[in-house]
Amino acid sequence: MPRTDTPAGWFSWLRGENMGARLLRLTVAMVVITLGLLPWADLSITTHDPWHELGRMLKGMLLPDVTATESPLRALLLTVTFALWGVALGMVLGFPLALIFMRSRLVRTLCAFVRAIHELFWALLFLQVFGLSAITALAAIALPYAATFAKVYAEILAQIDRRPAHMLSPHTDRLSRFIYTELPLAWQRLSGYTRYRFECALRASVLLGFVGLPTLGYYLESAFRQGRYHEGGALLWAFYLLIALLPWWAHRRLLLPWMLGTAFLLGPWPSVNPTLLWQFLNHDIWPQPLLSGDIAALPGWFAHLPNLLPAIGNTLLLGLMSTVGSLMVALLAWPLVSRHFGNRATRAMGRGTLIIMRSTPELLLAFILLLLTGPSLLPAWIALSLHNGALIAFLAARHADETRPGLPGIRGINLYSHELLPRVYPGILALLFYRAEVIMRETALLGMLGVVTLGFHIDSSFEYLMFDQAVALLMVTAVINMGVDVLSRRLRPDALPEPQRQPRPAPVGDSV
Amino acid sequence: MLETATVEPGTPAMLAGFDHARLGHDHHIVFPDLTLRISQGERIALLGRSGVGKSTLLDALRAQLGDQGAWCPQANALVPVLSAYHNIYMGRLAHFSRWQNLINLLRPNRACWQEISALAETLGLDGLLRRQVDQLSGGQQQRVAIARALYQKRPVFIGDEPVASVDPRQGARLLELINERHHTCVVALHQRELALAHFDRIIGLDDGRIIIDAPAHELTPNDLDVLYAPD
Repeated sequence: MPRTDTPAGWFSWLRGENMGARLLRLTVAMVVITLGLLPWADLSITTHDPWHELGRMLKGMLLPDVTATESPLRALLLTVTFALWGVALGMVLGFPLALIFMRSRLVRTLCAFVRAIHELFWALLFLQVFGLSAITALAAIALPYAATFAKVYAEILAQIDRRPAHMLSPHTDRLSRFIYTELPLAWQRLSGYTRYRFECALRASVLLGFVGLPTLGYYLESAFRQGRYHEGGALLWAFYLLIALLPWWAHRRLLLPWMLGTAFLLGPWPSVNPTLLWQFLNHDIWPQPLLSGDIAALPGWFAHLPNLLPAIGNTLLLGLMSTVGSLMVALLAWPLVSRHFGNRATRAMGRGTLIIMRSTPELLLAFILLLLTGPSLLPAWIALSLHNGALIAFLAARHADETRPGLPGIRGINLYSHELLPRVYPGILALLFYRAEVIMRETALLGMLGVVTLGFHIDSSFEYLMFDQAVALLMVTAVINMGVDVLSRRLRPDALPEPQRQPRPAPVGDSV
Repeated sequence: MLETATVEPGTPAMLAGFDHARLGHDHHIVFPDLTLRISQGERIALLGRSGVGKSTLLDALRAQLGDQGAWCPQANALVPVLSAYHNIYMGRLAHFSRWQNLINLLRPNRACWQEISALAETLGLDGLLRRQVDQLSGGQQQRVAIARALYQKRPVFIGDEPVASVDPRQGARLLELINERHHTCVVALHQRELALAHFDRIIGLDDGRIIIDAPAHELTPNDLDVLYAPD
């Protein structure tokens, strides 16, 4: 019997329990909350003539001066060295942890905590003990990376096909079972993820220059801060080249030569004073009242902390704004690199733009924007949205390229809105929520540039040698990040881009 | 596995069996009440549409037989990124020490290599041992899976569609080889002609029940139609 449905109204799509409605509700809620909170965000532009400054920067990019930096090659090599050895150490530490990750709540919590603090904050902490040395650089990369490797390796190993292991005799020992039926099946994804993390480590290694280690970032920061844009442009191009040529110079076969060759560059090695180290660990980082057993004085100690509420508010607000901003950038940008749209030339240009947006370290991007706008949430918001949006756009385009539109001859906006977006959107949201954790971590970090987030207070606490306060604030940051991580995992759509049964070429962790 | 009721091996020829057993997996019962005896020296073909419980029954048999059974699962239980040699070697992983296994992964053990290449030759896999398994054809992969089962050197062969993706003539040859090297075989098949020609006893399954259990020489291909009739 035919039945006529009443035509669907504007908001009817939001109702219902199906996946589409759920994702739509989630998106609308995020956008509405962000718009509602926007009046509280400080988006002011305080510089006099941002356009003039931007023009000078672009000129610097177009006319780079390669001779300006004294030893650019050394800075470049040191950047690679720290990244390479940091990742190698992270793997050595993280792999054994991955094997017990799923079984041990303690390991999971510890890893979540270590991951929740950004590489640069770790660097600031180690800096107090080991000074400007290789140990600081390596530990700052290796420690959070080990925690990330533990988690992602464990997830990859949990997703492999169990059938080959099932056919083995039950008497097979654990090691043989692992190396014959589990490791080979996971190998491609493990090495793919490690490779991706190496690219991230290169960015982190650049950033270590911001705390004073003589990597590329050190020279970049001083060049841009002092307005030597031609020199800054040359260094930036050098970094892009490094990333673009990654497949060639970082080939698997060259790994060992690189490791051995760069081992000599590692340094300087600090002379650690055990007394000072002991003093730092045992005394400096703890609140004074706690050490002297004077619990009554503890509230007084807390009262001395800087007013954290605006900083926490800003951190969370920036995190939310940047998450939504990344979503918008990703939605606009993925067609630029998808085979379904444009022609060869537009795709090449889109690719170039997105690679530049993705490869520039967020902090550096924010720093450059900050020179244009002055300290407010605006540069941080733009930088985080561009970087993360570009990253998600690439993965969304790759997913879209694998699908074939059902209607022949459908093109342009119709193809985007009816065939492709509905298919890739759950994946985009899933990636976005994976990414939210990273965005939060970076949000705090941007405080180092003078934006009043938690990182601002952490940075200045270290500057004034108030280690107890710095560590306490790091704890607060970690707890907030872990909270956001839990929240985003709750909200994340379960439907990942590809069906779960086929091992995906790019791991989930692509986005971590 | 919900419950595997083992029949006491009273008669010496008895190898495995179920006495009013309930078989299934993950809260899903496939065989509500299964009674079956398998004696030494029998060559049994399991027939039935896909999804009637052939694999469940084979799994239960495998659990009962333990170290006596050589298990030949479907080809998708191979490790695609390892070489054919390593996949065959895996049949005896439990037999060797973990350190030999580890070293063998990097540099094949010479004695094992010789033994496995002799085996590969009888299966028509010569020259393919170094090849990664996912670069082999479906039929070749299936022969690797059989080679792995033969390499286990056990008295009983349990196979889940071991000749599903090879042509009938080759299938016949492989089944002969399997029969030659094991005194007892339990094999799930879907080619009924092969089943009648190479096995002594035919067990037909439908909907969690045994509906045919007879010597192969008493059956004609038409008798087996009932197994594949649409409901």
